[in-house]
Amino acid sequence: MLFHSQPFVLGFLPACLAGCFVLGRFVGGTAALAWLLLASLFFYGWWNPPFVLLLLGSIGGNYVLGQHLLRLSRAGRRRAARAWLSGGIAANLTLLAVFKYADFLLHIVAPDAPPLGISLPLAISFFTFQQIMFLADSARQDRSDTGSLTYATFVAFFPHLIAGPIVRPKDIIPQLQQRALAPNADNIADGVMLFLLGLAKKLVLADTFGGFADTGFDAAASGAQLTLFEAWYAVLAYSLQIYFDFSGYSDMAIGLARMLNVRFPLNFASPYQSRNIAEFWRRWHITLGAFLRDYVYIPVGGSRCGTLRNCANLMGTMLLCGLWHGAAWRFVIWGGLHGLYLVAHRHCPFTLPRLLAQALTLLAVIVAWVPFRATGGAAGWSILAGMAGLHGIALPQMIVHALPPLGWIATPVEVLPWLGDARTLSFPEVSACLLLGWGIVLLLPHVHALTDRARTWALTSSFAFSMQAMFFAPHVAPFLYFRF
Amino acid sequence: MDQRGPGERERTMARLVAACAASLLLYFACFAVVLDRPLSFGWLRHEINARLARGAAIEGPKLVILAGSNGPYSHRCEIIGPLLGLPCVNAGVAVGISLDYLVARWRPLLHRGDLVYMPMEEAQYVRERAANALGPDAAIMLRHDRATLARLPPHRWLGALFSYDLRGALMAVIETALAAAGFRDPRAAVDGESNAMGDHIGHTAVLALANASTLQAARPYHPTAAQIRTGYGGVLIARFLDWAHAHGVSVIGGLPTGFDDSPIPDATIAAIRAIYETHGARFLELPNRSRYPRSAFFDTPDHLNQTWQAVHSVAVACGLAPLVAGRQRVIAGNTVCHSKQRSDDAVAVERRTASPVPISQGIASSLRPSQ
Repeated sequence: MLFHSQPFVLGFLPACLAGCFVLGRFVGGTAALAWLLLASLFFYGWWNPPFVLLLLGSIGGNYVLGQHLLRLSRAGRRRAARAWLSGGIAANLTLLAVFKYADFLLHIVAPDAPPLGISLPLAISFFTFQQIMFLADSARQDRSDTGSLTYATFVAFFPHLIAGPIVRPKDIIPQLQQRALAPNADNIADGVMLFLLGLAKKLVLADTFGGFADTGFDAAASGAQLTLFEAWYAVLAYSLQIYFDFSGYSDMAIGLARMLNVRFPLNFASPYQSRNIAEFWRRWHITLGAFLRDYVYIPVGGSRCGTLRNCANLMGTMLLCGLWHGAAWRFVIWGGLHGLYLVAHRHCPFTLPRLLAQALTLLAVIVAWVPFRATGGAAGWSILAGMAGLHGIALPQMIVHALPPLGWIATPVEVLPWLGDARTLSFPEVSACLLLGWGIVLLLPHVHALTDRARTWALTSSFAFSMQAMFFAPHVAPFLYFRF
Repeated sequence: MDQRGPGERERTMARLVAACAASLLLYFACFAVVLDRPLSFGWLRHEINARLARGAAIEGPKLVILAGSNGPYSHRCEIIGPLLGLPCVNAGVAVGISLDYLVARWRPLLHRGDLVYMPMEEAQYVRERAANALGPDAAIMLRHDRATLARLPPHRWLGALFSYDLRGALMAVIETALAAAGFRDPRAAVDGESNAMGDHIGHTAVLALANASTLQAARPYHPTAAQIRTGYGGVLIARFLDWAHAHGVSVIGGLPTGFDDSPIPDATIAAIRAIYETHGARFLELPNRSRYPRSAFFDTPDHLNQTWQAVHSVAVACGLAPLVAGRQRVIAGNTVCHSKQRSDDAVAVERRTASPVPISQGIASSLRPSQ
């Protein structure tokens, strides 16, 4: 079930909230928590019911192991705890590997072998990482005691189950333990506001840019050679799509949790306004970045070692980050590029002026989205070649007529076949949309930094378009991060 | 956010509700009254109205070709009408125009004895209800033609009220500004234009050369028979056929033009044919199933270039004649239907490409003496 689907908004959400609040008021907090768990399992099972058993098995196994780790740590048996922790992490990663990476690994070992065709359980990357955190925190005694119901609700909690934010157990479990599932008008109003603004990001902005990006990337995948503007517009559109899609999802998740009196951490903080790549990773998918920093980068030595080792730690962490996004080389390349950027930034001997630094960071991030989105190496190279102008520069005749000097650099054509709907006015249409999108991400603060008044204006300008997209658009695209 | 007092809390909720309500009101006001798309939708509106005016001006039986842009680009009333001895209107404009809107506009002009030929694009049959409600006609009706909107079912009213997405809204601003600045639509120069009967003309083989790579890369999609049977567009067509049957208007279905290297599957054709034949209409399937080489097209598989438009039009007229009461005699005296010369002429002109226009004029004028 998608957050922006009619069954969720009109059916699941009101029923879930009403059930929680009524049970919390008249029966008790435990009943409300149980209802929330059942609702979350229903939400998860909507997509593929048999995988609910996998989720429950993973929750049960990790809960038992987490409790054991906590007891071992409290008893001072650190070596045993470390051994059990290693085993637990290995078990979780094995589960992830079987479902997500089996075909990828098989293809590396035996390129000609037929694929195993194992279907990927929804959100397995998220709930696996979530539970590895729980195990590690248990071994460090960095969490309080937790009942099985609370733990299961924490992992399966529908606002973050499918695509994060990846939340730390010690931040969320105490909130669930308070059994504070009574309606709170402040939280409901704030939650609804965040949910609606996230909905607008997804339906109004991300899906609009997704259409433009798909046209260009699909054309490149089918062998077409995109000219300069077609290639740049496709990549700029994808950069906006993935930001609005995922940050919109995160805002909706934060809003949903807020309605239930649970506060999630921020996941996006205007990442495209970053002035260097390290800052970008402190603003983009913040909770994944924090997980990788706290549970991978720092444990393997972080920056507390020599230059070479530090570079290796950065590269290793970012390659893992890429691989976490999917079992394909394109994600590894994307992670590798960001690793290289981070290494270069860490050891860069000079400081650039602010605007230049921001532009360079943005350019690096945008270029890295090409292999991430392109469906093959050839398509990726083709897009990059197009961006470099190696496939020529073409512009619609009407633009060249209006601005004749453009004729010196661009070939006038009737329409650009891989831009928007390839109509006469597609060029100004896509240009205007991109201008609006980049204006929002580069000039405005993010939703959580807006004042109440600014949020109200944002809602006023977007709500009708959200309703249009939700109830009348013929096609609703799923969230990009559902695939990860 | 900080916890608020009861008064502030009420104000927060009220502000939320007010923002949503204001958003809807502003949206409706903007798109129903203030903003418009004078270039894209304005052009469509002009084309639709011009064809309706031509239809209204004809007294007595007439031939109406009803389709999307396949109608005007690949069929020529200028040729088909004289061959059948019927005044003709090419009523199609664009595949995105919803069929129920087009039918609602044309129904008052269709009378007993009229003939409607429907070479509808395959996409028309499988068009979803939601897409149908959001075609360009929805915005046109909301802004300029609320009388027709009122005659359509309530889901079309809602669709019209919510017909603008973000892209449409931005384009409305851009087009309004361009129109105010006196922007001249370049389409006639690169695409050709329409004649008085609604035929598209001037889309010559020479102009088509600019689209050669697009045509070579095009991969037409053919819906399955099951999709045709269950498509919402098919339901709308069936409704129109029932109305036409009840009012003495003859309807003949047909196939859209397309590439000969991409044939429509037999089952799909059978499903299309069944829609017409089970609702009191007939169906014309030309020997070549309206398939032509890619070089015969202008810019898409639905658009023949002008040379082949003429060839196809003769074939359609010759195919329609035996199906139309009283028209066999009209066409029997004309040798054009019994000759392969027309396609040979077309191929010759296609190769010469320097002067492709005369072929249609030639065919049309050669038909006039036998009218």
